[in-house]
Amino acid sequence: MIFKIFRKELKETIRDRKTLLIMVAIPLLIFPILINVVVNVSSSFSESAGEKVLKIGIIGDTNDILIQQLNSIPASFGPKEFIAYNGDSLKLFNDQKEETIDLALWYDSGFQDILDGLGTANILWAVDQTNIGYSERITGYMNIIEAEERLKRYDALGIDEQKLQPYKITYQNTASDQQMLGELAGGILPYIFIAFGFLGCMYPAIDLFSGEKERGTIETLLTTPVKRWKILIGKMLVVVLSGLMASCCALIGLFVSIEFLDLIPDPNLTTVVSKILTIPIIIKLFALLLPLTVFFAGIMIPISVYTKSFKEAQSIITPLNIVVVLPAMLGLFPGIELNYITACVPILNIVLTTKSLIAGNIDYILLSLSFIVMIAVAAVAVFVSFRQFGKESNIVN
Amino acid sequence: MIKVENVSKEFRLSKEQRKEHPTNDKYTLAVNNLSFSCNPGEVFSLLGPNGAGKTTTLRMLSTILQPSSGKIEICGVDAVKYPREARRKIGFLTGSTGLYARLSANEVIDYFASLYNVPNNVLKERKAYLYDLLNMNEFASKKIGKMSTGMKQKVSICRTMIHDPEVLILDEPTSGLDVITAEGIIQLIRDYKSQNKTVLFSSHIMGEVDLLSDRLAIIHNGTLKHQGTMAEFRTDMEGQSLTGAFINIVQS
Repeated sequence: MIFKIFRKELKETIRDRKTLLIMVAIPLLIFPILINVVVNVSSSFSESAGEKVLKIGIIGDTNDILIQQLNSIPASFGPKEFIAYNGDSLKLFNDQKEETIDLALWYDSGFQDILDGLGTANILWAVDQTNIGYSERITGYMNIIEAEERLKRYDALGIDEQKLQPYKITYQNTASDQQMLGELAGGILPYIFIAFGFLGCMYPAIDLFSGEKERGTIETLLTTPVKRWKILIGKMLVVVLSGLMASCCALIGLFVSIEFLDLIPDPNLTTVVSKILTIPIIIKLFALLLPLTVFFAGIMIPISVYTKSFKEAQSIITPLNIVVVLPAMLGLFPGIELNYITACVPILNIVLTTKSLIAGNIDYILLSLSFIVMIAVAAVAVFVSFRQFGKESNIVN
Repeated sequence: MIKVENVSKEFRLSKEQRKEHPTNDKYTLAVNNLSFSCNPGEVFSLLGPNGAGKTTTLRMLSTILQPSSGKIEICGVDAVKYPREARRKIGFLTGSTGLYARLSANEVIDYFASLYNVPNNVLKERKAYLYDLLNMNEFASKKIGKMSTGMKQKVSICRTMIHDPEVLILDEPTSGLDVITAEGIIQLIRDYKSQNKTVLFSSHIMGEVDLLSDRLAIIHNGTLKHQGTMAEFRTDMEGQSLTGAFINIVQS
């Protein structure tokens, strides 16, 4: 009987375009579109920023030694053009303010003499740091000419450069690429699944309970000799399946983006991500997501049963999304790790367990504890749903 | 056979409801100590103005609601103690045509037949019989959402009768229908009666009540105001119209 109800509810759910859009289309397309947009925008931005000819206003003249040094830097480090202001600092200041020049460069008037006297010459770059890439470009220029000048001084003073370097320090990263990715990005994956799982559950949960009540179909169904708990479970299975389907589609979208659409430019990153998206990890991930989705269904159904209309249910369940996502976001913070306490916090435990799973350093006792906790809260949520569904005041409008 | 003995139903009033109907009472009595019976081969009409307690009574008979007190028997089954057993014997048509808009008429009928465990061969026969009777063959594959009110009502009635129930409970079955569709439904009720089944229906249309009923009960504010045969009711009218007599009883 449960299967009969499940089959009919699923058929009806699949025929609802809005639910189908949220359950399949959006999760499936979100990653290819998002990655494509981010990669293309950032690459085209950095390309155009690198090719841009920087207009640099200088306080002196283009024949000054500093400008000659800067001009000697190859154009591959970024093209530039110098505009001489010959001491007119007010005009230089105004022109930068009005953005007729990109950067302003001040330096000491006796620049050459200071260098010849092995003194320290002052250089001031005026940069509007909201223009991304400008600071990096001039830091690069200055590193080159400063290194050249330093070498000249070593020669002039007869100093061996090596003798001024007492240590040669190497910092070796002992974490594998997989561990690094697990720590840095591992939390994002379950966070996305939680968001989509919730969204996937939401519309069927509202439609199959509050919607049925509003349309008057629940009354018809309850006059049949089917036990109420069987009706509840049949409907709940569709809600859970919709949540899992949304998560699954999000995973497929991510996998397709990485494997087939070649959207991630860094091949090392692609290899690491491919290593992570293995069948055993995906199975473990879905084993954790199953009780989580049942839990979502279990908190949405009593609300949907209690409310009198689709709109009313939607207005309560939608903000609940924030309550659910908050513990998931906690898991993204560095320093919060899976332990006996965090394993007992629903949702947070899923994020932290997935992080450890991806990083490859999972403690199976903590994994089991997280799983048991999620099963327990899911069972409580199902019980609450059953109690609410059994109340006649919640069934008849 | 339907047997209702001293049935009452009270609802808890929410704060908002107490404000709407200025009262300090926490409960309201929707049905008060109602008793009547309806025998096989008989059409019984339940009449009353809006808010009289008709729908609550029908919902209790169909076991959607539990009475606060009293006893309901459906074909010898205690419907309060064994609601699932009672439901097998009932076909209940709700006031609002509650059907699944995204399913076709065929899918709805098959679904409800499966919930009543109707065997496939019986289902085939019942569908053929009811589809012919209700002229449903033309729109059997059409989605409910695209149907007219009359078509939907026919599907609802077909759904109510697909498991061949012993007792038919109809809440305003011809409400909002055109004359031809309403006539078809009246004919169907007569056919059902002739099969020695029990039919209980609520209606506002006095002509329909006059045409179909063997016995009737009039309730007002949840209390039984009149019960008797249609013949007795006509005799007691003393030259008034049916509607006039109904209003007199309600206002007495």
